[in-house]
Amino acid sequence: MIYQQMAIPPRSEHLWRYTPWPRIHPTVPTEVPIADAVIFSLEGAEAFEEVPSSESGVDDIARAFLQAAGGSSNRLFINEASEPIHINARASGHVAVGHLNLEVKGSAVVFIHISGEPEWVGLHITGKIHPNAQLCFGFINELDPNTKFLRCEDWLIERDAELEHATLSVGGFRCKSDLRSTLNGTGASIRQSVTINADGARHEDQHVEIHHLHGHTNSDLVMNSACAGSSHFIGTGLLTIAEGANKSDASQVFRNLLLSEKARAEAIPELEVLADDVSAAHGAASAPVDKEQMHYLMSRGLSPEESQAMIVNGFLLNAFSNLTNKFLIEEMRTRLTVHLECELKR
Amino acid sequence: MTDEAQDVIGDYRYGFHDPENSTIRFDQGLSEQVVRDISELKNEPEWMTDIRVKAYRHFVERVMPEWGNCDLLNKIDFESITYFLRSSNKTETSWDDVPDDIKNTFNRLGIPEAEQKWLGGVTAQYESEAVYHSIREDLEEQGVIFLDMDTGMKQFPEIIKKYFGTVIPYSDNKFSALNTAVWSGGSFLYIPKGISVEMPVQAYFRINAKNMGQFERTLIIADEGSSVHYVEGCTAPSYSTDSLHSAVVELIAMEGAKIRYSTVQNWSSNVYNLVTKRAVAHKNATIEWVDGNIGSKLTMKYPSVLLKGEGAHAEVISVAYAGEGQHQDTGAKVHHLASNTTSNIISKSISKKGGRSSYRGLLQVTPKSTGCRSKIVCDALILDDYSRSDTYPTMEIGNSTADLEHEASVSKVSSDQLFYLMSRGFTEDAAMGLIVNGFFEPFTRELPMEYALELNKLLELEMEGSIG
Repeated sequence: MIYQQMAIPPRSEHLWRYTPWPRIHPTVPTEVPIADAVIFSLEGAEAFEEVPSSESGVDDIARAFLQAAGGSSNRLFINEASEPIHINARASGHVAVGHLNLEVKGSAVVFIHISGEPEWVGLHITGKIHPNAQLCFGFINELDPNTKFLRCEDWLIERDAELEHATLSVGGFRCKSDLRSTLNGTGASIRQSVTINADGARHEDQHVEIHHLHGHTNSDLVMNSACAGSSHFIGTGLLTIAEGANKSDASQVFRNLLLSEKARAEAIPELEVLADDVSAAHGAASAPVDKEQMHYLMSRGLSPEESQAMIVNGFLLNAFSNLTNKFLIEEMRTRLTVHLECELKR
Repeated sequence: MTDEAQDVIGDYRYGFHDPENSTIRFDQGLSEQVVRDISELKNEPEWMTDIRVKAYRHFVERVMPEWGNCDLLNKIDFESITYFLRSSNKTETSWDDVPDDIKNTFNRLGIPEAEQKWLGGVTAQYESEAVYHSIREDLEEQGVIFLDMDTGMKQFPEIIKKYFGTVIPYSDNKFSALNTAVWSGGSFLYIPKGISVEMPVQAYFRINAKNMGQFERTLIIADEGSSVHYVEGCTAPSYSTDSLHSAVVELIAMEGAKIRYSTVQNWSSNVYNLVTKRAVAHKNATIEWVDGNIGSKLTMKYPSVLLKGEGAHAEVISVAYAGEGQHQDTGAKVHHLASNTTSNIISKSISKKGGRSSYRGLLQVTPKSTGCRSKIVCDALILDDYSRSDTYPTMEIGNSTADLEHEASVSKVSSDQLFYLMSRGFTEDAAMGLIVNGFFEPFTRELPMEYALELNKLLELEMEGSIG
């Protein structure tokens, strides 16, 4: 279905409960503005292949909108990459849209850094990880604090393939992410971590779907958020295990740290299990900064601000604990630490 | 019972039905006139008729919920339901005076016997109205009011006018609007200040007729420092056509009061059980919902607590068993509206033979509520590859001092546990029964002993033939 034929989704759908479509649309929902292209540049790999934007029908309004808005459309095919590949996505102007398709047949580490000062930016990433391939994927959002950001991702993970997926979101004013992964063959696995540091009036909505279509598939999702100021974080997860997908192992954990009186956080980790011989679990927790930890650090000479920053740093770093690739962990940790140090000096 | 009837009923023990000997039976279908007729028949004051009519209009305008099992919900044919059926001309206070056929039903359900042994009071509702009601004299002397709701309306209209619909307004949802429009029967319970009712009081709800709608309304008010345990049970015959049970239960616990509300719902598999239950807990009050869902075709029930006073506490323990053709969509909602409020939610479910169990919960901490704590634990067992278990929890945290935890797991019965029990001489079925009873133990230990035993027996029956 094309965007113009779609109805605005009701807020009774969890996906749209806290960030309804009109709030994330760049103008008014009936309009499809002319979009500038998000410029992708590469470090550590050969050039992109420019492809015409796809015309395939989609059911989701955000994806349909990005398709209708056009923008840039690039494709990267990776056979094997010994060094990490860095993709810089630069957005500018009123409305900018980019489409990126990744296909991996061997093993690779890919980072996407998005930055710029557009009013609105939309990004649709699709990826296929072929049988037995491994992709470690890091996404770093360092957009201008006044930018609205819509991000959709669709990953297809084939038999015995692995995806390690990490997100660090510290930029943008109002951000909505809809990340979907499908474990499409026996032995497929995904380890995913999402780290959010929000302050001011920032609104961050992260939706993660993982679908186990086959047996002996594994998924592990960790989502940590630290919210200060009057920021608002929403974490929604949908984990499905299809009928017959026995011996699947799935877990999702959502943790929220609220740092100020006006900060808010919502967690909705959903599970739909249609097979009996599985191990599926989810957990969610929310708490203030531990006073004992603060006391411990302050008694060793740190100021309250430094103590809190250290605790927040440790808490957010912990989101990457389910990852195994050293390049991915190192890059995400470095970016987070640099961001928190800059915040502290402000 | 004919073989054909037995086939329809299957293993459901309470699937028998008695001949319908109604004194008043409304035609099927719902209209404003039906609502006004019910009110007139009950000789209600004008304010109640007005609420009913407003609720009916809201029901007509309100769309069906767009979440949950919409396929099943949309199959409800509101025009084929009988909205009022009177089986006895008055509510008796002695079992001897209850019409024989109805008395036989309750005898088979074991109610009079239970009353003699361990209950402080009993209301037995048959179709739309209570047919029997009693309360122990010593409780009555202490000022405890335990009446069926219709009698309560006649004797204490001022109290009911003050509290009716304050916890669950008719505009809350489509089914609370329907209940408010056509409510009949239910319990009215008032516990005066400082009185602690030691023995549980019980209401038993029975649907006997085909295509029947039962819409009881229960209002429980525990005044300051009082406590009570209210138990309800529900059964219905098995028919090939569907019945609808849509109750509204409002609890109000004043400062320091405690209300425990236990339900063992064992409707037959042709009953839609769409119930709204909500409680308000004032300062230092405690509300406990102990909720067992074994029967029905579709249950949508999320006992809620509004923690309005500082130091209030909510406890929700719910278990659900979803067998063939059943969807148990249950859960709990707790709203922390005041500081230093605490809550604890335990949910357990079992899905078998293609059944579906869903936990749907909401935990909310408002921005001004500091120092709130909550823990939610959801465990699900799936016993075969055709069944399904879902978890849809929502946590809305508006205050940074809140300390909340949620954990959930889905698994199958451990083969190690089965092996252990079978190596000690249990058959597979018996071992499975023991494991399931153990799984539900956090729920059964909160029930009065007789109920817990009955529930264990029920579960063992339901679990028969689970292996292989």
